[in-house]
Amino acid sequence: MAAESARGSRFLRSRRSRSLAIQAGFSLLLLLLLWYVVDRASQLELGFDFLNGPAGFAISHTWLVEFDSSDSRIAAYLVAVTNTLRLILVGIVLATVIGVLAGVARLSDNWLISRIATVYVEIVRNTPLLVQIVFWYTAIFLKLPRIEDERSLFGIAYLSNRSLALPWPEPRGDFFLLWVIAVAIALVPAYLVRRRRARREAETGQTTRPNLYAVAVFAGVALVAYLALGLPVEIDTPTLVRQEFTQSYVGGLSITPEFAAMLFALVAYTGSFIAEIVRGSIQALPRGQGEAAMAIGLTGYQRITLVILPQALRSMIPSLTNEYLNLTKNSSLAAAIAYADLFQISEIIINKAGHAVVMFMVVIATYQLMSFAISAVMSYINRRVQLVGS
Amino acid sequence: MVAVGTAGRRGGASKWVHANLFSSRWNSSLTIATLLLGLAIAYSLGDFVFVSAEWESVEVNRRLLFLAIYPSGEEWRLWPPVMMFAVVAGLGYGLWSRAGIREYVIGGGAVAFVFFFLVEDNTAVLTAVMIAIAIATYLAGVRARDSRVDTLARRAVIGGGVAIVPLALLMLNLGDGVRTTAWGGVMLNLMLATIGIGIGFPLGVLLALGRSSSLKVISFACTGYIEFVRAGPLILWLAMARFVLPDFLPSVGGLDDVSLVVRAMMVMAGFSAAYIAEVVRGGLQTIPRGQHEAADAIGLSAFQSTWFIVLPQALRSVIPALVNRFVSLWKDTSLVVVLGFVDLLGAARAIPAQPDFVGRQAEALLFAALIFWSVSFTMSRLSARIERQLGVGVR
Repeated sequence: MAAESARGSRFLRSRRSRSLAIQAGFSLLLLLLLWYVVDRASQLELGFDFLNGPAGFAISHTWLVEFDSSDSRIAAYLVAVTNTLRLILVGIVLATVIGVLAGVARLSDNWLISRIATVYVEIVRNTPLLVQIVFWYTAIFLKLPRIEDERSLFGIAYLSNRSLALPWPEPRGDFFLLWVIAVAIALVPAYLVRRRRARREAETGQTTRPNLYAVAVFAGVALVAYLALGLPVEIDTPTLVRQEFTQSYVGGLSITPEFAAMLFALVAYTGSFIAEIVRGSIQALPRGQGEAAMAIGLTGYQRITLVILPQALRSMIPSLTNEYLNLTKNSSLAAAIAYADLFQISEIIINKAGHAVVMFMVVIATYQLMSFAISAVMSYINRRVQLVGS
Repeated sequence: MVAVGTAGRRGGASKWVHANLFSSRWNSSLTIATLLLGLAIAYSLGDFVFVSAEWESVEVNRRLLFLAIYPSGEEWRLWPPVMMFAVVAGLGYGLWSRAGIREYVIGGGAVAFVFFFLVEDNTAVLTAVMIAIAIATYLAGVRARDSRVDTLARRAVIGGGVAIVPLALLMLNLGDGVRTTAWGGVMLNLMLATIGIGIGFPLGVLLALGRSSSLKVISFACTGYIEFVRAGPLILWLAMARFVLPDFLPSVGGLDDVSLVVRAMMVMAGFSAAYIAEVVRGGLQTIPRGQHEAADAIGLSAFQSTWFIVLPQALRSVIPALVNRFVSLWKDTSLVVVLGFVDLLGAARAIPAQPDFVGRQAEALLFAALIFWSVSFTMSRLSARIERQLGVGVR
């Protein structure tokens, strides 16, 4: 009897059995919760059929895809996806440029430059993005002159509260595709030149400017092809067309104030965070790196592009990926100013057709897919820039 | 490199300008270009702030911006937690840190701004009392530092800080109470943020412990929750609170119609918990295995070793990152406008709709931005300071 109870208590006290008991109890709770959720969900209409129904609303922002209110809800959703993608892709590129510039500028020897960069970062980073979006939209882009006022910038671009009309390259004639192919092919000699000069620089130590020559070769080939094919691309400038009651821009690139406000706010906001990442990564480098670069006589530009940034990039990429993912998720704030992004369109669909649970799961899955894509690209880049063998 | 301080006063200034603004031809042109651009921006900004802006639109709407739809006559409920905050902030600042000349200037400026611009009548007296309390407790904190009551005072500050939210909730529900649907303005942002932190932080620590637990089921469930929440943007979860949550909340015990504000709070807390969990997990990973093993060796239970050995060290190392999460949460409270709440941003958006102030968007938004910014900026400065102090200890 005594022996048996001792065995029992040892069983209770043994770590393994206790962890099993805890996990069993926890699983039970989890199952109960799951059962509850499933029970509740079963009272809702699940399924994707509603997505085939006609949308019944118009979308004021479309890009690449045409949309009409009699199209299906899936089509509306796809338009929303392209709108979000447009915002994210342009946003990531511009935010990186702004962020790197501001990050490097914060560490500049030039007092004025570093101060201005600091003020930019500290103001923008500590203000809610949504406030900035609303500010850009209602206090700046909607305050531009009305389209009737015909205010133009040097006669080639128009800024109005209807849209920003900018000059934009347009294909002309039948040889456009040929020219694109020629430009793609031009990458090959540019790459070869760059590799040869870079190798010579590495072997002999003389400055061979591989990037400059590569760009020159590329631009040369592209230009020759451009002239040879009879100018297949022209710069299309917008013009204001008056009809009886309405005015509109024809030609060029028209950017809606909603898109412009989202882009400016997202780029400024994300750029300020990227600036901090860039600054942190550069400061984390040993001081000797910059001093050694100066000692061997590199110019300021060479020091940053050849010595500092390539090394800082290594520690930067994981945080940079994080910022890109944040930008992706933050693009959903577009709904607040009625830019037809993923979130706004799905909210409209929910208001029209219900099925909130299914719709939201689709939205989360879409964001997750975008995040996976960004993470995959970034981890590819990360593998490329890491030290070999580390 | 020429050391700046070695030259005489006048020579020092010109040397400084030379070294920091005109050290090379490239630098000089950069300086001049930036100066011109900066002056242009400063001119148009100054012109707006001092000449063309109608700050009256903000002045008239102070109540809207701070309290929005909060019923008038019920303001007394808000003062006890505000006073409590003054005590905690003053005492805490005195105990942990000491103000330099810069802090005095900033603090004085803030007080002057509050008085000239924001308060009137009774509020002015109560605000003066609040500031007096803050200064008195600050001085008391400086005295108490390193004295016999040091530890006691520090515990009181932490306890008081934790008690602010319960006190506020108690005051708001006393007697007839103020319905959550009547919360608005800056007050709503503050309530959302503090409750989001108050519930989100412990929940986040639990999630982090769960995720790094050796118990597979728990670790799996916590990981699943964290990753699922982080997959979607906050605005989407808030929309869920509006469209989906009512279908899933239990309908027993009069919980039928949990108000949208409470649902938004639940979402805020659950959302920030997932992010806080990742920060805390980072801290947990810095704890060497030896710490666990040593705790086991001296016979501590799993709970004891987590509570007394692992967590204090893990949390200490991630305090700056945690403060940054709180800053994010504070900024994120502005997102509740998409639910139709009249928070600070909602109030600022409502002002240009008033007949007197049609088209005055910029003033109200800049004011709202200033309020959001000053809280975030103070907290991020705090985080940077803690980071420096921790860094000294670590190296």
